[in-house]
Amino acid sequence: MKKLLAIFLAVLMVATCAATLSACNKNSDTIKIGLSGPLTGNAAVYGNGVANAAQMAVDEINANGGLNGIKLELKVMDDVNDPTKIQANYSALVDWGMQLSLGCVTTQPALEFKTLSEADNVFFMTPSASADAVRSESNGYQMCFADAKQGKAAAEYVNSLEYTTIGIFYQSDIDYSKGIYDEFKANLSSSITTVEASFTTNTSSDFTQQVAELKNCEFIFMPIYYTEAALFMTQAKDEAGIKIYYGCDGFDGIESAEGFTISAIPQKITMLTHFNSKATEGAAKTFIDNYTAKYGAATLNQFGASAYDCVYAIVGALKKAIEEGKTVDADTSASDMCEILKEQLNGGYTYTGAVTGTGTVKWTSDGFVNKEALAQTIKEANG
Amino acid sequence: MNFLTALFNGLSSGGTYAIIAIGYTMVYGIAKMLNFAHGDIIMAGGYAMFTTLLLVGHPIPALCVAVAFCVALGVFVERFAYRPLRGASPLAVLITAIGVSSLLQSLAQIIFGAGSKMPLQLQVSGALKLGAFSIHYNTLITLAVTVVLMVALTLFVKYSKVGRAMVAVSEDRGAAQLMGVNTNAIIAVTFGIGSALAAVAAYLMLMKAPSLTNTLGAMPGIKAFTAAVIGGIGSVPGAMLGGILLGVIECVSLSIPAIAPFTDAIEFAVLIVILLVKPAGLLGKARREKV
Repeated sequence: MKKLLAIFLAVLMVATCAATLSACNKNSDTIKIGLSGPLTGNAAVYGNGVANAAQMAVDEINANGGLNGIKLELKVMDDVNDPTKIQANYSALVDWGMQLSLGCVTTQPALEFKTLSEADNVFFMTPSASADAVRSESNGYQMCFADAKQGKAAAEYVNSLEYTTIGIFYQSDIDYSKGIYDEFKANLSSSITTVEASFTTNTSSDFTQQVAELKNCEFIFMPIYYTEAALFMTQAKDEAGIKIYYGCDGFDGIESAEGFTISAIPQKITMLTHFNSKATEGAAKTFIDNYTAKYGAATLNQFGASAYDCVYAIVGALKKAIEEGKTVDADTSASDMCEILKEQLNGGYTYTGAVTGTGTVKWTSDGFVNKEALAQTIKEANG
Repeated sequence: MNFLTALFNGLSSGGTYAIIAIGYTMVYGIAKMLNFAHGDIIMAGGYAMFTTLLLVGHPIPALCVAVAFCVALGVFVERFAYRPLRGASPLAVLITAIGVSSLLQSLAQIIFGAGSKMPLQLQVSGALKLGAFSIHYNTLITLAVTVVLMVALTLFVKYSKVGRAMVAVSEDRGAAQLMGVNTNAIIAVTFGIGSALAAVAAYLMLMKAPSLTNTLGAMPGIKAFTAAVIGGIGSVPGAMLGGILLGVIECVSLSIPAIAPFTDAIEFAVLIVILLVKPAGLLGKARREKV
């Protein structure tokens, strides 16, 4: 009896294995793109925006014949914005057969993802993890501006305005703010004088003194996060000398900062961004319409727009590689895929028709994204 | 002109530090312990104020509720966390104080969440203009409140019965007890007064910068402790002087862009220098400690 049972179990085991194998093989005619992002938890609005927009891009491309006939397939893992989940997610994606990836949505998990994928030479292009360190020479690119590079883009924008004096308000003890500040100063036209005030994590509870420093500056550049920005604006709301605030991606979400009534701030608030979420024309407009029709407006953000561009940029680069005689198909290994894409991106590949920036995206020789920044108005001045 | 602005801002934030520092220094003088949870009493006062504002919408009842709540909380903490440890090693008391501090911060986070609250009703707008020079009203209010509280406290300690009992307990607890002073009650009163001052400090802080988180009191608490040590811990006038000094140093150094990023370092460096020159602090009494 026992023997029978053993034989039965053995047969069952073999059958299961065979079933799994055939299941595995069944989908091997697609190019597999992996992604890890926060689908739940407090950063879920970013993760879902990315997952939805990337899926939308994949569906569109597949409907138009895929990559020269080969369909794409996207798999998204939830990391709850927790770097300790990345090891498991990454392994699951590799087991699934991931050939290239969009990396992670947020910075801390992305750094973990970078370490793991570097070892296996798996290509990633993150839509939104913006720390400079996320970029990897061997396999990692960004679609968003790297943190410090925002400083250069912001300086170019400010140079184009007609100010002779501007104010700068930054946080001196975090890499994000200090990095942008340094890059901004280095690229700012020498004809513009600056009035500067700063704070540290320890002095971030009261900005009376800093408001007094900056109260006569019409235009204030603030490469800081929105919590501190909201406090500064609240403390400075009676200062008629201040007209415009200009921030970087740290301003993202300031409208919905807890307890902050943005309409009570009389000044105009603008930010540097690579995606205009209120676009009324062009590729951005088409993207916004299609996205909201499919997923609603709640998760529409620059993260998703950037992910949409990632998928198209990668597919564009692969198409170009095929034209140049490379072989790309469902059997191409992740490592080969990485080499092919790297050659394209480092070799001056230009992605046109982008939803972010002004439509054209390139990567400079050091691998950082090169596109034009937009100044988006979050709130007009109160009249 | 810039310097003058910085000086006034410094006097006003120094006043707030002084009010907090008095809480530290009185408790140290009388109970001989460092109450590191003092900063979190400020935070608790802030949330009491915030909650009252949601219900009533006027700052004055909010302040009253906060003072009452902080006094109750301070006395409660003393009764159940510190009194059982009277006579225990100073280290045990210190660790308990740090524990109470974490407990209060975590409780606030559980109840109110991690995001910052903005009790905008406390904001005072407008400024007093003297030609080209202008002082914000909240700076003046802070200065006035500080002066009034300091004078009142000094008179209370010098002339009231309870105040003199407090001095007696701080001089020699054993002897005071033999003379019929109820030391436990006096220590409870001290915690109560310190906590009431903390509530006022919370009001002044939120009036200037309406951003309330569960770590509201952490950094001002440490700065005020530094101020108390600079002035000579255990000495009430010392805490006032230390607080004002620290506030002025902070604002003046923030007003010079080149050294602004090093403001914290400068403040604590001043502490080191003063302790090297006058180990007991500016107004502290040098006393021989048995080691």
